[in-house]
Amino acid sequence: MNPRKQHLLIGLIALIIPGAGHLIQQNFQRGLAVLISIPLLIGLACWQETPLVFAGAATVWLWSAWDAWRASVGRPTKTTIVPFLAGTIAVYIVALAATDIQPARLISGFPSIRPILSALTSPDILAYPTQDKIGTAPILVPCVEPLPRPDVQGSRQTILLPSASCAAVDDTVRITGLGFFPNFEGEMWWRNPIGDLQRLTKDGRPQIFKTNEKGEFSATIKIPLAVPISALPVPGQTQTHQIEARQHKAYGQLQPTETLRLVVTKMGETLALAFLATVLAAIFAIPIGFLAARNLMGAGKITLAVYYAVRAVLNIIRSIETLIWAIIFGVWVGLGPFAGTLALLFHSVAALGKLYSEAVESVDPRPIEAVRATGANQLQVIVFGVIPQIVPTFLSFTLYRWDINVRMATVIGLVCDAGIGFLVIQWIRLGSYNAMATSIIAITLVIAVLDYVSSVLRRHILTGVNFGKVKTFRQYAFRIIGVFVFAGLFLWSWNVADIRIDYLVRDAGNGLRLARELLTPEILTRPTELRSISAEIRTPRQSCPADEVMKTDEGPGIRLSSTCSNVGEPLTISGEKLPPDTRVYIRWQFPDGGELRVKENCCDTDADGRVSLETRVHSLADSEKHDGRPTRISIQWPEAVGGFQLSEAIKKTLDLALITLLMALIATTLGSLIAIPVSFLAARNIVGTGPLGSVLYYAVRTVFNLWRSIEPMILALIFATWVGLGPFAGVLALTLNNIPNLGKLFSEAIEEIDMGQVEALTATGANRLQVIRFAVIPQLIPKFTAFILYQWDINIRMSTVIGFVGGGGIGHQWRVWVQLNQYAAAAVATWAIVAMVWIMDYVSSRMRSRLV
Amino acid sequence: MLTVEKLTKVFPGGIVALKDVSFAVSKGEFMAVIGLSGSGKSTLLRCVNRLITPTSGRIIWDDTDITKARGPELRRIRRRIGMIFQQFNLVKQSSVSTNVLSGRLGYVSPWSSLLGYFPSEDRVRARRALEQVGIPEKIHERADTLSGGQQQRVAIARALMQKPQLILADEPVASLDPVLAHAILQYLEQLNREQGITVLCSLHFLDLVHRYATQVVGLKAGELVFQGRPKELTRERFREVYGEEAEMATLGKPLD
Ligand SMILES: Nc1ncnc2c1ncn2[C@@H]1O[C@H](COP(=O)(O)OP(=O)(O)OP(=O)(O)O)[C@@H](O)[C@H]1O
Ligand SMILES: [Mg+2]
Repeated sequence: MNPRKQHLLIGLIALIIPGAGHLIQQNFQRGLAVLISIPLLIGLACWQETPLVFAGAATVWLWSAWDAWRASVGRPTKTTIVPFLAGTIAVYIVALAATDIQPARLISGFPSIRPILSALTSPDILAYPTQDKIGTAPILVPCVEPLPRPDVQGSRQTILLPSASCAAVDDTVRITGLGFFPNFEGEMWWRNPIGDLQRLTKDGRPQIFKTNEKGEFSATIKIPLAVPISALPVPGQTQTHQIEARQHKAYGQLQPTETLRLVVTKMGETLALAFLATVLAAIFAIPIGFLAARNLMGAGKITLAVYYAVRAVLNIIRSIETLIWAIIFGVWVGLGPFAGTLALLFHSVAALGKLYSEAVESVDPRPIEAVRATGANQLQVIVFGVIPQIVPTFLSFTLYRWDINVRMATVIGLVCDAGIGFLVIQWIRLGSYNAMATSIIAITLVIAVLDYVSSVLRRHILTGVNFGKVKTFRQYAFRIIGVFVFAGLFLWSWNVADIRIDYLVRDAGNGLRLARELLTPEILTRPTELRSISAEIRTPRQSCPADEVMKTDEGPGIRLSSTCSNVGEPLTISGEKLPPDTRVYIRWQFPDGGELRVKENCCDTDADGRVSLETRVHSLADSEKHDGRPTRISIQWPEAVGGFQLSEAIKKTLDLALITLLMALIATTLGSLIAIPVSFLAARNIVGTGPLGSVLYYAVRTVFNLWRSIEPMILALIFATWVGLGPFAGVLALTLNNIPNLGKLFSEAIEEIDMGQVEALTATGANRLQVIRFAVIPQLIPKFTAFILYQWDINIRMSTVIGFVGGGGIGHQWRVWVQLNQYAAAAVATWAIVAMVWIMDYVSSRMRSRLV
Repeated sequence: MLTVEKLTKVFPGGIVALKDVSFAVSKGEFMAVIGLSGSGKSTLLRCVNRLITPTSGRIIWDDTDITKARGPELRRIRRRIGMIFQQFNLVKQSSVSTNVLSGRLGYVSPWSSLLGYFPSEDRVRARRALEQVGIPEKIHERADTLSGGQQQRVAIARALMQKPQLILADEPVASLDPVLAHAILQYLEQLNREQGITVLCSLHFLDLVHRYATQVVGLKAGELVFQGRPKELTRERFREVYGEEAEMATLGKPLD
């Protein structure tokens, strides 16, 4: 074949099979890159239905054919900027679509965030004590026939009269109030049957009423949906709610508010949780740190195996965020401070274990050898040679962890009833924005202060600890006082954190089941069909034919203890020849067409396929008349039909995991783009030491430091209100969190620029721009890239939980699955999170170690 | 009298660091150990206080077989042998006084020492040892705040605390500048002369060997290739020890 044809053939092959053109010519790097990126881009394009991405894929494809042809004629293209740009732009287009970025919503959603923002400027700290007048009136939702009349309540002074005693959701009711403070404003509240209070709103704002000079008012309220859909009464039944009109009249001196008191108490709880978890974690992590240290465990085969096992477990635990652990422990021992402490403890043990092991690995063997050479025994060698080396590092890592734990403890309440985060989430639900603002400000301040304290202490410990220095009496006294304070704090924290070790045992079954289910992710499922067997029962007893009263119904596999009975009487339903170890449901079909599905804990068949449930004869309402007509009782169970398929959980998880990755990508990109210019303003060597420069420098630094203290979870909560639930809120929260974090790192990198290189280039006669291009940028790029990769890694971790407060991504779905008890599905998501975090951690640290 | 008989050390992995090395040092000698990097100098010194256990051969010191000693007996031997290292090997995070006092670990009661308690005569002795090496004012400093030369003096003070009859010095001056090197070696010489302590010191500088040593052994790839007085170390003998590359170096210059 002539060479010309051969070249064209190569181009043609590259056009048919992406990458093949390069592979034939043994250019494996380009070939594989093309081979992988084309299907990837096409896959992404189909996933988000973004036609533009096809154009990107086509560009890469055509370029690869052209490049293969060029290479075959001996003139390969030098730069790969075209396909690289096309691919990158395509990925970002997909990312923007997948994370649902809609800047317009920042504007359209602004009204709903305004009250929160304005509340942030007026936190609820001090207030005048108030005299309160509260009028309540019961109201039935919805109306039913016949109408039970709720009795009108109200204290003697204040009376609230609704125009109707019952109403449906979204109806309007007119209410009249008597006996309130005259000429004074008040608020309207709604209390649902289980006592949850919520504010009534009108046009999106809290509803206010104003009394006339006689202390009377009237207002129209709209009945809110005050219970979850699942808790709505069945048709034909109703629920009693309360309307409350409240007036608070101030008098006397300014005093700390109830809000402030609550915030302080809960902040105490938060700090206690963090303290306790850190101290306990340090204790547990010490032996683990030694087991995970390669220099100690690397010698023997068995110890090496232990080392690998410990490392793997630590890594898995670490890659699951504390908030996820909080929910898992909440399922085990019940939500509350104990679950929160366990979660903090668990994650901290893993994190500290890893850090400690690194400290042990970096122990210098030479001083140890020197101590041994003096004739010291093994214990003396450890005390004099090893401990002084590791204790400062251990302490410093522990302090660092304490800092992180305080941050975590402030937000752990967002998912379990512990610490100050719980107040935040409650107050945002109640619409008490001023109170919420108080707690958010408190969190931010506490974190900012602790961040500073812990970094100062850490610096002191690493350079200042001096083992064996002779102490003065005062130093001894301080030390003893310190020990007592520490012990006191520990006991107090133990108490506050509500440690109930017995719960771990009491609920061990719960925990084991959870562990088992989380370890068996639902990967393949078979579609199921509902099978059922049924029998009939008649009510009431006097309407049955005489001979049937005592007879038992022997259906195929189902047996009732009676076929004729009265509503409310005991009844045993038993089934046999059912599939073994299967969850079954009992379904009641009543004569008038109503039905009920009962899923009680008992309803698992045993190994022989038998099940038995002791219950009572059900009916839908006491008023229902069955007149001897049969109620059909069925045992139902799902039975797998057909072949195995990828489970729904896998599909959803893949989808959401990808979205989570892209959320992190967009947030990191946006954060970096904003942080880079700003960081120059916070670099001393750029802004100079003049008055303007100093002002700028300190202003930007202070803003960075305060801003960094706002937890991303809190930001997500706010953005979820602003732009609606979903990945966009999460991206905004992460971006905003990244700006100060990256900004700080960047500005430090800028300050470390080697001026020698700048001088050398200036000396060659280069102008300012040339100096920046050739002396400054080459120094900054590797560092900046390393920080960005590091931040992306952190962002992926955070975006796995940001969905808990409405930030989208995989976290939201995970929590939904846990709440629905679908642990096998949650397990899929959990392992996806582990894998994702693990891979990104690995990739990012590999790339970083190559950079610096 | 220290006698080394057919000492052999094979490290795991088959590296033969010492091969049938035999020599004797009488009490009060200042013996220099020379040889190329990797020739086994450190291994030899570490065998003497059994930081390394030799594969075969014997080391006899004043009728005690060091190679057979174990447990408490080994520690009793070690406490009479001071050791000084190239990197000083101080515990950086501990104070100078603790580092010096740790030279007494082989003597004091093990349990009270673990709590940081040392008898007051030991504390007095620690101060005196620091005075002897010329840095008494540094006693409360953290060890890593000292300069290299000061750290090596602390290390010598630590060795002095052991009341040693033998000092092993593994390239004690390789990390120091020439002036300091002389200062440190002069201490060793003084100890050697005035207290009759035997010194076994590996050195890299030939002028230092000539200046301080009374005996020299040369190692080459783990084998003893020279033993004698420093003045017997002629150019030819020297080439035997250091190999052909020695042509490049002249006497008195560092050899690697
Ligand atoms: N712990 C060990 N395990 C395996 N091999 C070792 C060990 N210690 C030393 N060796 C090997 O033994 C040989 C002699 O090492 P040694 O440290 O005694 O040499 P040296 O003469 O002190 O060299 P230098 O002048 O560089 O300190 C070298 O090949 C070295 O690699
Ligand atoms: Mg050596």
